[in-house]
Amino acid sequence: MTLTRRTALASAAAVSSFAIIGRARADDTVKIGVCSPLTGAAAEVGRIQLNSLKLSTEHVNAKGGIVGRKVELIIEDDATTNPGVVLAFSRLAANPDIAAFIGSIRSTQVNAMAPDVAKVGKPVMFGGTDPTLTHNGYKWLFRCRPNDSFSARVIADYGVKTLNKKKWAIVASTDAFGTGGQKALVDALSKAGITPVLVQGYSNQQADFTPVVLAVKQAEADIVASYFTFEPDLAVFARQLVQLGVRIPWVGSPSIVSPVSVGLAKAALNGTYGIADFTPDANDESRAFTAAYGKIYNNAIPDSGWTYDAMQILALAMNTAKSTEPAKVRDAILAIKGYKGTEGIYNYDQNGDGLRGYNVVKNEGGKIVYDKHIEFDA
Amino acid sequence: MGILLQLLFTGLGIGAIYALVALGFVLLIRAAGVVNFGQGEFAMLGAYLLVIFFNLLALPYWVAILLSIAIMAAFGVVFAGATYWPLRNRGGLPVIISTIGASIFLENMVLVLYGPAAEQVDGLFDAPGIQVGPVFMDSQYLSIMVIATLLVLLQYLIFEKTLLGKKLQATSQDKEMASLLGIPVAAMILITFAYSSAIGGIAGILIAPILFVSTGLASIIALKAFAANIIGGYGSIPGAILGGLALGVVETLGAAYISVPYKDAFAFLMLLAFLLIRPQGLFGEKISEKA
Repeated sequence: MTLTRRTALASAAAVSSFAIIGRARADDTVKIGVCSPLTGAAAEVGRIQLNSLKLSTEHVNAKGGIVGRKVELIIEDDATTNPGVVLAFSRLAANPDIAAFIGSIRSTQVNAMAPDVAKVGKPVMFGGTDPTLTHNGYKWLFRCRPNDSFSARVIADYGVKTLNKKKWAIVASTDAFGTGGQKALVDALSKAGITPVLVQGYSNQQADFTPVVLAVKQAEADIVASYFTFEPDLAVFARQLVQLGVRIPWVGSPSIVSPVSVGLAKAALNGTYGIADFTPDANDESRAFTAAYGKIYNNAIPDSGWTYDAMQILALAMNTAKSTEPAKVRDAILAIKGYKGTEGIYNYDQNGDGLRGYNVVKNEGGKIVYDKHIEFDA
Repeated sequence: MGILLQLLFTGLGIGAIYALVALGFVLLIRAAGVVNFGQGEFAMLGAYLLVIFFNLLALPYWVAILLSIAIMAAFGVVFAGATYWPLRNRGGLPVIISTIGASIFLENMVLVLYGPAAEQVDGLFDAPGIQVGPVFMDSQYLSIMVIATLLVLLQYLIFEKTLLGKKLQATSQDKEMASLLGIPVAAMILITFAYSSAIGGIAGILIAPILFVSTGLASIIALKAFAANIIGGYGSIPGAILGGLALGVVETLGAAYISVPYKDAFAFLMLLAFLLIRPQGLFGEKISEKA
């Protein structure tokens, strides 16, 4: 066969058509933008969250995807900083094909990106626990962890009713997460008729906590409650608490039971209590997720299930709405009631909060043991 | 009183950490006229080497420490070749910027190669510390204080009492003149980088059991160590030590008696006060006196 101009053009057109069809097929995915701390202080936590998210995406795709299309993650590093997350979100938001986003576990970062989220007008699932994040009129933010008004209420409930403690010392980071948790805890304790003997803030990434530990000691508290943002800070505080002879019950926010904290502080955290939004053996969903996670990641135990749930909830909402159109997805998320996730049972309210309780766990020689789940109606 | 004594001990312990890292700064300032903002990363790398040799490869503790220090000394030469040597004739600023760039590169290189997980590493002694009256003395803080003192003495002896030290100082003051006098300038500078990197590594190894090993280790201490260097007197060995200790005590007492959240601010307020009132620092010389 001789190659004429006509056959050459026809061949080129055919090849181009196949290329276009191939590209269209490859692009025919539901894209979810992800702002994740791949670098910076929370990079380790970010790695685990991303692993959970990828696992969840695989599970969604295995069940047919979203409205018949596969899900594709588009990931940007937020560098664990506020400018980083704003930049990461703006890069993702510039892509019109992205249907929804998964944001940060850090309240301060969610705060930073919230104005841009409002402008973009697409659903953002996040894990920050500052209660105000869903009460500032930002209608596109949907939380996949219980907020700190519940964490504070659970800490107060457990400390007052179960441990029978009255003289509270509160130690909290001065960032948005710590400040939010501290205020909520003061409020929850005041409803139980208790005024803390010490409310002590600290700035993140400290080399030494001696002044804080001595303040707890001087206040003669009989229980310490904490909202630590970074695990190394918590581990330094835990060790100095033991060294300086402060031996009172300690109930901490979820960072106290993270594998990183437990690994760093070792025996210094023995006997402490923590509240955990995610506990591997809290329910059937968390057990199944932990088993699947361990199968892929060398028997590692995840410290959080919120990114797993976030993807499942987005898939559920989009499949229920039979659309990825933001307004329809928003309505579908807010209509979710009784969805059993790894973090608990989701019943979304009109603010975008889905969960209302925490598990209480205890560190017994480095092993995190589930104690009870405390849930509130509202 | 017991609380004040405890705070003073802790302040001195933290101050000794700043002083150790500040010593590395001083060395390069005195011998090569260079401010190395990668000094904190030297500490981070030293700590990571200890984790690799001791935690991962299970080498005996002291072998792991000596190996880490030796590698850090060799790394100092490589660092000099990459950041200082190509820019050595272009003034101080390009070298400073180069060391800042190198510090960012090193931090992210460790993050990529090792991962973000913070690591725990054993201290020099099994016992957590000793109780002396109302004061708990952390064994690692005590170790840091003793080793910092020994290193200061060693550094003082090297710079003031040995021919090598004189050569190093001559190199710093006037490289051309030093060269005319037969001093091997290039070798002197490389030796200084190697020693400075080894000191940084030692600092990292000593503070790792207290602050844990992570890529954030450098940023926690490097800026304050630099501030200690300014407070003590730019390029002064006793100044770096005293500046570091003063900084540690002031921020600890300030945190305890004024405000914990503003702890870092006390250190930089102190720096600001010195820059305004006594810019030459505690042991520095006034420029006008040199003329």
